Amino acid sequence: MLNVKDVVKSFNSGDRTIKPVNGVSFSLEQGTFAAILGKSGSGKSTLLSLLGALDKATSGDVFVDEVNISTLPDRKLTAYRRDDIGFVFQSYNLIPNLSAKENVMLPMEFAGVSHAERSKRAGALLNQVELGEEMHGRLANRLSGGMQQRVAIARALANNPKLILADEPTGNLDDETGELIIALLRQLAHEKKTTILVVTHDHALAAQTDRKFRLAHGKLTED
Amino acid sequence: MGVVSRSVGNAFRNKVRSGAVVVILAVAIGLALAMLVANQAVGAKVDSLKASVGNTLMVNPAGSRGGLGGGNPLTTADATKAAAVAHVTGVNEALTVRLANAAADSASAGSASGNGGADRGSRGGRFGTSGTTSLVSAVDPGVLGQRNNSNGSSPDGGSGSTTTRPAFSIPIQATGVSTSATAAGTAIKLTGGSQLTDFAANSTQALVGSTLATKNSLKVGSTFTVQSRTMKVTGIFDAGDAFDNNGIYLPLAATQTLVDQAGQLSSLNVVVDSIENVSSTQAALTSALGASNVDVTAGSNNLQAAITSLGSVQNISLIAFIASLVTAGLIVLLIMIMVVRERRREIGVLKAIGASNRTIGLQFVIEAMVLVVLGSVVGAAVAAFSSNPIVSALVAGNTTSTNAAVGRFGGRGGLGGGGGFSGGFTRTRGAFAGASQLIGTISTSVGWQTLVLGAVGILAIAAIGALIPALLTAKVRPIEVLRGE
Ligand SMILES: Nc1ncnc2c1ncn2[C@@H]1O[C@H](COP(=O)(O)OP(=O)(O)OP(=O)(O)O)[C@@H](O)[C@H]1O
Ligand SMILES: [Mg+2]
Repeated sequence: MLNVKDVVKSFNSGDRTIKPVNGVSFSLEQGTFAAILGKSGSGKSTLLSLLGALDKATSGDVFVDEVNISTLPDRKLTAYRRDDIGFVFQSYNLIPNLSAKENVMLPMEFAGVSHAERSKRAGALLNQVELGEEMHGRLANRLSGGMQQRVAIARALANNPKLILADEPTGNLDDETGELIIALLRQLAHEKKTTILVVTHDHALAAQTDRKFRLAHGKLTED
Repeated sequence: MGVVSRSVGNAFRNKVRSGAVVVILAVAIGLALAMLVANQAVGAKVDSLKASVGNTLMVNPAGSRGGLGGGNPLTTADATKAAAVAHVTGVNEALTVRLANAAADSASAGSASGNGGADRGSRGGRFGTSGTTSLVSAVDPGVLGQRNNSNGSSPDGGSGSTTTRPAFSIPIQATGVSTSATAAGTAIKLTGGSQLTDFAANSTQALVGSTLATKNSLKVGSTFTVQSRTMKVTGIFDAGDAFDNNGIYLPLAATQTLVDQAGQLSSLNVVVDSIENVSSTQAALTSALGASNVDVTAGSNNLQAAITSLGSVQNISLIAFIASLVTAGLIVLLIMIMVVRERRREIGVLKAIGASNRTIGLQFVIEAMVLVVLGSVVGAAVAAFSSNPIVSALVAGNTTSTNAAVGRFGGRGGLGGGGGFSGGFTRTRGAFAGASQLIGTISTSVGWQTLVLGAVGILAIAAIGALIPALLTAKVRPIEVLRGE
């Protein structure tokens, strides 16, 4: 389903070039629940951004269901990000002046889903991540970190993506809520055949995944 | 929650800043609208002034005006020369003569014969007349009639009193014309009958003023005499004032023949192709006909000054309108560029979760429009209260220099009686008034054209102000979302 070949991403910082991703290759079957581990600054977020088409790789190819997203034109990339990918950002990135529910409704609005349908589905997703009804209408910037993280996860699920890329999805959650999210992701992978790639330091989460990779010095190795 | 409500919400995200922007926009848009209103109002006034002046010049014999002054009459040769001057599109020839009442003339002439010619002034207004008519004036002589029709010597041993004079009929003004137009070139307005058609020397057609017709019980088809010729009333006209309605129009050639002034004219009304060429043509006519032979006057010296000063007001207001709109556009542009920079990361988020460039661009355009609409609403209120003072200030500031200018357009000379005074007065008042009085009040009514122009202008600035920042959002890459992570 996901096939990454020799991907390199380099940044020019001052007079030297750094390559947090330097020749990464791997592939994932549909419905795999996988984790990437690695030290802070090892390039995990950078790699996810390349898979989610937030940025272009310096070289290499990323195939998603046989389509090379490295060569897609802008319009197709927009559709790819909207329909195929669910991205959970390390720092949530909710729109602060929209409510929790409105944040979850956004990707569906871009996909042309009717307002009634969006509202219904957003409510259901927020219930799934156990965000109480009374919080649905609350502005995102009035929610606690853990609540924002759950809204971000619900938003990533909004358009039923086939690939979920989650950067530290349990980073700010207590053990109990973390377990809930892990169970939800497992269920999505194994029952709905959604491919899930998480970046995590959370051993409880890593232990639940099907495959574990480690990123160090720009190279990805499987444990 | 769609793109519209999101944009409206975003417009008020920073309430203090948005409030300030709306206030500044309102001032700029309000000023623009006020300037537009001023421009339109002044434009309308200029048009009406131009229409009221007309683009004509009067040519009179040098030193003569109406029934006063001296010098030699104009001739048909002068008319031909005038027609050949550049920018002249038409020449109306006129011979204006005074016709004494035939009955009163002969009666007073007889009674006065024994006085050895010392009292010619009492001869029934015979002084200064060129012929006689059966018509009796509809205007009573009054004090002015007595004064205007005396030869200056006192009939009563030097007391100067006019009260003891015998009653008499003041002379009738007959204007010989070669077209269906007055000596001033305007159309003769008939209330009955038809215009003159026979302009031959032996024509018997005549147009009679309405009050004169009533006084003499004349109807279309009635007859009266001028000198020895019996004239037939072909039409009755209403010139709108007592003096003119006490006169008659005759064919020019017939007039010249009847009063024995063949080839002579008392005035030429010259039509100039455009109002801008009036003063140059005035000079050209003077030199073509000879300054010692003719006086060429423009009735519009003040009006031209008024139009020129109003024209500059019009220009100033147009420039100010555009400048204010550009300012408003710049405010929108700069504030939206600021907003886009501020929300780079958020734009990145929207793109990362699948928003198209179009959706985001639209969101920012609508956000800018919300500010512009609010600014326009408040600005319209500002304009409503400030247009009138602004127009007054602009007009006053640009016409003070011409206030001192006074008209030099002579009245109707020594013609007319008591009743004629009021008619003459209203005419000369316009000529003696300064430019500012001519401009008078400029009403600032807001017509649909102004509204459409204003709306188009504001839309244009809003479009420019909003589109550029909206296009900038297309350049924001989704990776901005990771900035600062
Ligand atoms: N836009 C950029 N320009 C320059 N260097 C960058 C840029 N983005 C990331 N880097 C660098 O790339 C390296 C990898 O960063 P990245 O955010 O991918 O690490 P990470 O593995 O996600 O770390 P963490 O676990 O702390 O989130 C870091 O050294 C970072 O400074
Ligand atoms: Mg990271």
